[in-house]
Amino acid sequence: MWEQTQRIFLESLERVLHGAARQLPGALAMLFLLLIAVAAALVLRGVVRRVCERVSLDRRLREWGFAGPVAEGRPGPSQLIARLVTWTVLAVGFLVGLSAFEAASTSALAARLLDFVPHLLVAVVIVAVGLAGSRAAERSVLIGAVNMGLHSARLLGLGARWLVVILAFGIALDQLGVGGRVVPVSLAILFGGVVLALALAVGLGAKDLVARSLERRFPVPKSLDEPDDEDEEGKLHHL
Amino acid sequence: MALEATAIEPGVAGEIVVAIDGAGGVDDSGVEQLELQLNRRFPKNRATILMARPRAGEVVLASPGEVEPVPAPTSERSALVTTEGGIPGQYSALGALLREGVRRRAAAVALVAAAQHDASADWLGLLLAPVLEGGFEYVCPTYLRRRADAPLNTGIIYPLTRALYGQRLRQPLGGEAALSLTLAARLLDDPDWRRDPVHAGSDAWLVAKVLAGRHRICQAWLGAWPRASHGDEGASETLVRALGLVFREMERHTRCWQRVEGSQPVPTVGSGSWLGGEAPRVSVERLLDTFRLGARELAPVWSLVLPPATLLALRQAGAARADAFRLADDAWARIVYDFAVAYFVKTMERRQLLASLTPLYLGWIASFVQETQGLEEPAFEARVEALCAAFETQKRYLISRWRWPDGFNP
Repeated sequence: MWEQTQRIFLESLERVLHGAARQLPGALAMLFLLLIAVAAALVLRGVVRRVCERVSLDRRLREWGFAGPVAEGRPGPSQLIARLVTWTVLAVGFLVGLSAFEAASTSALAARLLDFVPHLLVAVVIVAVGLAGSRAAERSVLIGAVNMGLHSARLLGLGARWLVVILAFGIALDQLGVGGRVVPVSLAILFGGVVLALALAVGLGAKDLVARSLERRFPVPKSLDEPDDEDEEGKLHHL
Repeated sequence: MALEATAIEPGVAGEIVVAIDGAGGVDDSGVEQLELQLNRRFPKNRATILMARPRAGEVVLASPGEVEPVPAPTSERSALVTTEGGIPGQYSALGALLREGVRRRAAAVALVAAAQHDASADWLGLLLAPVLEGGFEYVCPTYLRRRADAPLNTGIIYPLTRALYGQRLRQPLGGEAALSLTLAARLLDDPDWRRDPVHAGSDAWLVAKVLAGRHRICQAWLGAWPRASHGDEGASETLVRALGLVFREMERHTRCWQRVEGSQPVPTVGSGSWLGGEAPRVSVERLLDTFRLGARELAPVWSLVLPPATLLALRQAGAARADAFRLADDAWARIVYDFAVAYFVKTMERRQLLASLTPLYLGWIASFVQETQGLEEPAFEARVEALCAAFETQKRYLISRWRWPDGFNP
């Protein structure tokens, strides 16, 4: 009885040790790849930070209206990009490490995740550009609306911002293949509705404003001999 | 101020080259009239009149006979009216005129607008005589305007240019100009034509170059303002276009204007004051509405540009009754300087920055109109003078902010 138990125990131990010995190279390879990924991530973070500093990315994004001034203690766009690069490299390193295990299930999972990474990166870039562009769009619409004397200027600015954000997220989801056809159809309904609402609003309430704006943009030529009309006579010329 | 010696001698014919710039152009009888006017006033000089036309992305000069019929106007071509002022370099005929003038060794070159000038004044003679007979290198035109007209010039361009360069040019962005051969040659050699073609050749560029250099300048009253045919431009568009050019030149000539203190009068040819007739319709209520709307909605944008004390002053001013609304000269000068600094350090996208100044500018117009509507002419002049003095006094503020823009960190 004791001998049988001892044999079973030893056989089990042998199997465990064999298994562990079989996985050891894979684990070591994974560890090695993870270390390389960590090193690469640290180096890349430094490089990205330096490049961003060299091209004054934060200042330029602020000038172009893509980012506002950074509050004290909060990360700026350069830091965010550096963090994104770091975590992306670490994630890719982890997935590559997983595939080094040679375990069938983990390899398949890692391979599928690795295939997904480029789509994910593109989606992240689209969202980042969309979020940045939404700020510029909001400010531009807000200033333009105030200068036109529209009292709902802030609402218009916010509307423009959210339209850009929604569009960016819609494209990103489409890129990731999430939601199937629901996302493009929803976007089409949303933007179609917005355009229809704007067309109705302009047609019903702001046609004079649009006419004045178009007249300013595409002036009707007058000959030099043509006398100025009364309206022109009392007009304020700024310069 | 020492004058530089004349480097180039004009040709023996003492030719005058006049370039007519404008979308409408001038018909044959108009050209003949100009030639007649020139021959009568300057009989010893041969006059050549050329028309400016856009061709293949640049402005070229051609004889009136060679000019093809004027095509249908586009938004781009409508900018080619010099009397509007604030013409970007790439739409200006100045470069082509300078090349033509130097090539012909003309005694004087003039850029004039294709617009109806004051028939009661010998405007072309007044523009060219200081160069041909007075030894001046640059003549800046000044026009009779209605008092409330050109508030951008009265409220920003004139006081700012005067405070920066120390010369009291009343209408710096008149659009028209007359230049000597020496100055034309010097300007033509300027590297800005290659380095910054968008701005080189604009009227703001020309005025800043002349004022920053050591040139003999004068201004000439040319009669009533030749109204541009397509001058129907809103406050925001005008601000962005004209002030952008002025701020750009401010950036270019930093070392020059930081050394200038005070201002001095510029020799003036002819005399003039303000034009009578119907005053422009200025609805103070509407201007104040836009100002208050801006103060409410654009506060986050302005807070990137203006210091807290100014923002507080604006809030208090906005809360006042319409008839009691006032924007103090010092505060206004500081606001303009703050925007100039923000333009320089690129606090935000530059077009957005200038456009966001519009409600403040309209508020200033409302304040100025209310203050000056009952004033006689000398009192009105004194009021403009007080505004200019405020810009000169506050120049120290501009210099300190320009040198240490982070001193005020929003």
